Amino acid sequence: MKMKLYASVAAVALTAGSVQADGHLAFTPGEGDFSWDSYNEWAANAPDLSGQSVTVFGPWLSPEDDIFRSAIAYFADATGATVTYTGSDGFEQQIRIDAEAGSAPNVAVFPQPGLAATMASQGLLTPLGPDTASWVADNYAAGQSWVDLGTYADASGEDQFYGFFYNVNVKSLVWYSPENFEDAGYEVPETMEDLIALSEQIIADGETPWCIGLGSGPATGWPATDWVEDIMLRTQTPETYDQWVTNEIPFNDPKVIEAVETFGMFAKNDDMVAGGSAAVGSTDFRDSPTGLFSSPPQCYMHRQASFATAFFPEDVVAGEDADFFYFPSFAEKDLGNPVLGGGTLMAITDASDATMEFMEFLKLPIAHEVMMAQTGFLTPHTGVNLDTYKDDILRGQGEILLNATTFRFDASDLMPGAVGAGTFWTGMVDYVGGAEAEDVTTAIQNSWDALK
Amino acid sequence: MDAIAGRKPIVVWALNISVVLLVMLWLFPTLGLFVSSFRTGDQITASGWWSAMFPAEQTLQIRAADPDDARVDLGNGVFVVEGNIFGDEPFAGEMSGWSTSSRTLGANAPGETFDLGDGETFTLNADGTYVWQGNDDQISGRAQRVFIDATTPPDFTLNNYAFVLFDEDNSEGMAKAFFNTLTVVIPATIIPILIAAFAAYALAWMDFPGRALLIAAVVGLLVVPLQLALIPLLSLHNAIGIGKGYLGVWLAHTGFGLPLAIYLLRNYMVGLPRDIIENAKVDGATDFQIFTKIILPLSFPALASFAIFQFLWTWNDLLVALVFLIDASGQTTVMTKQIVELLGTRGGDWEILATSAFVSIAVPLAVFFAMQKYLVRGLLAGSVK
Repeated sequence: MKMKLYASVAAVALTAGSVQADGHLAFTPGEGDFSWDSYNEWAANAPDLSGQSVTVFGPWLSPEDDIFRSAIAYFADATGATVTYTGSDGFEQQIRIDAEAGSAPNVAVFPQPGLAATMASQGLLTPLGPDTASWVADNYAAGQSWVDLGTYADASGEDQFYGFFYNVNVKSLVWYSPENFEDAGYEVPETMEDLIALSEQIIADGETPWCIGLGSGPATGWPATDWVEDIMLRTQTPETYDQWVTNEIPFNDPKVIEAVETFGMFAKNDDMVAGGSAAVGSTDFRDSPTGLFSSPPQCYMHRQASFATAFFPEDVVAGEDADFFYFPSFAEKDLGNPVLGGGTLMAITDASDATMEFMEFLKLPIAHEVMMAQTGFLTPHTGVNLDTYKDDILRGQGEILLNATTFRFDASDLMPGAVGAGTFWTGMVDYVGGAEAEDVTTAIQNSWDALK
Repeated sequence: MDAIAGRKPIVVWALNISVVLLVMLWLFPTLGLFVSSFRTGDQITASGWWSAMFPAEQTLQIRAADPDDARVDLGNGVFVVEGNIFGDEPFAGEMSGWSTSSRTLGANAPGETFDLGDGETFTLNADGTYVWQGNDDQISGRAQRVFIDATTPPDFTLNNYAFVLFDEDNSEGMAKAFFNTLTVVIPATIIPILIAAFAAYALAWMDFPGRALLIAAVVGLLVVPLQLALIPLLSLHNAIGIGKGYLGVWLAHTGFGLPLAIYLLRNYMVGLPRDIIENAKVDGATDFQIFTKIILPLSFPALASFAIFQFLWTWNDLLVALVFLIDASGQTTVMTKQIVELLGTRGGDWEILATSAFVSIAVPLAVFFAMQKYLVRGLLAGSVK
């Protein structure tokens, strides 16, 4: 009985699985705006790696996983090597288990530099070498800051370059519905002062300006850390920001408290946020942008990174129904146009010849352009053709990245995990729940002290 | 006697009510998941599953046809776009009002013509036909939005199931994961039963020194969390050359399942009538003959119930598979892993989660119903002597 059951279910599954995906390349070489010349040049000199394989393990799942596979197909096509990408939502835990037990993949895609730094210090990563470091410095916008973000101390305490960034997102964006702004006669604000005035104007009109949601399962609270980081960059110098990240200034420094309280001005005011401040902590960040497009609109603005478009309702067309503006800086503070971002970095966890060649491939513009053309993939690579971005929205974000006067990485991803992915998150939830900024920041600082 | 008879209905009532409550507690979330699996992601975000079964009053937001393609020049600089706002399919709901601005919802009645200013007009009828008229400048660029207050009937979709089971990008991976899961589950169910049955017989009916201590050790192992053993065991597998693979995951599942299996089977076997076994011994049967000819057939309910336990646990397992089986080659993924992947990079696709849950539940349910008569008997294994 049991075996018969298996057999029949298996037969159903087999017929369902008989549709084979075809293996050709996503974009025919030589066509379109892609940088084929550099690819062809590399491909002509690339070694024959037939029979060798490269395994890549990362946090991307559907749909980014298939798009990444379409990019690495160009590597396989040129070298004959097999490249397999596997994604996992528990990447952070699994890479540690695999690396420590000695069954690591060749290349790991780290969503947080902090985790890569930890693994580098345990000797689990292979350095990419000074050549790649200087290549990044020369070919990425604000190159040195990217090199610094990929440089960690190795097991003997010496600084080495381990990871270079591939797939970056810009966080300093405010999403809105242009037609809702038109209906109400609002203008896109150019300065933070204007933005605050606009928020008050919307409240005076009897509407709600902001949608803010901090819910994210076990990571609940992280959207608030992005707010605070963005405000830090707009109220303090980049140097102060760096000191905050490394805890050279304490977490409960008045400068940080000021930034937290500026965030509180938006999130802890019942009139400012849809559902009132009580809803901020419990609304899922994936659900909160839908308030922009409901009718009547629940809110008019939503601050979220470039990946926010993934959570827009299905019928919303980015660029038509939704647009973004740069989260503006204070006109009265002369701090330029700082940009906050995040991203994933590629590092070698198990070196081989094919793996080194694969890293060379990732330096080519084509490895970035194939991604840019298909998904919300931004790159600071200055050699890519911006025309290959999927749409104007992404091109605009790519330009923000290339033109940033100051680029700073998401602070919570750089802080030690117990703080940046722990007490900072929970602290911000406590803060919007009613706790005082001073108490919350002191508690976070205490948790940081406990790590030292 | 009367007093007992009088009390009995109350006890029965209390029992029935608590059973109903427990069943509801389990059934309600399952029902919600089931309803959600027939809804789109946007519907799940917008309203709860309990409201999905009734007609809903809502404001629809629809665009007129793109003026760059659809506008008609009427001459004298007047352009017009005509069509049906609901597209080709007839609208199943009922329109109560409409508007062209997000600030004045429901301001216009169906059939009314609204003046947008500067001679631009919009007319919308109850059946969805519309006329949008104005000059060259007005009838261009973005198409006009229309907000329609309407009562719409319940709307369900089979697309989620189509996506999980038959979508080209998925079906291959799902089929592979299905067979991989079977490859893990069947040996991981049979091996522990085989070992545990022998061990249980020895611990129940063979006299040897230290038997009681061994039983105590097995019971003690029941409380050791398997998470403790993950990394050391994987290191061991790597060191002796098994690495990540099916053999490793079978061994791990066997090890983690054995304490419960031995405990359960030993308690059942110890309750079998002593007379039968002594008679067999007197007749000259060896221990192996007693085990195969007498104990095994009599223990079938216990064996079956443990098989169900182990099958369900290995079928639903993600942790052990992640650690001991799934490597970066991507060839050995299992169902649970495949479903987690379907959730998307940022885990927002609830409709896929709900659907996958029901797809994945199908095989364990079938196994359960096929063998459920043994489960209850086996659950009592060892509890009554």
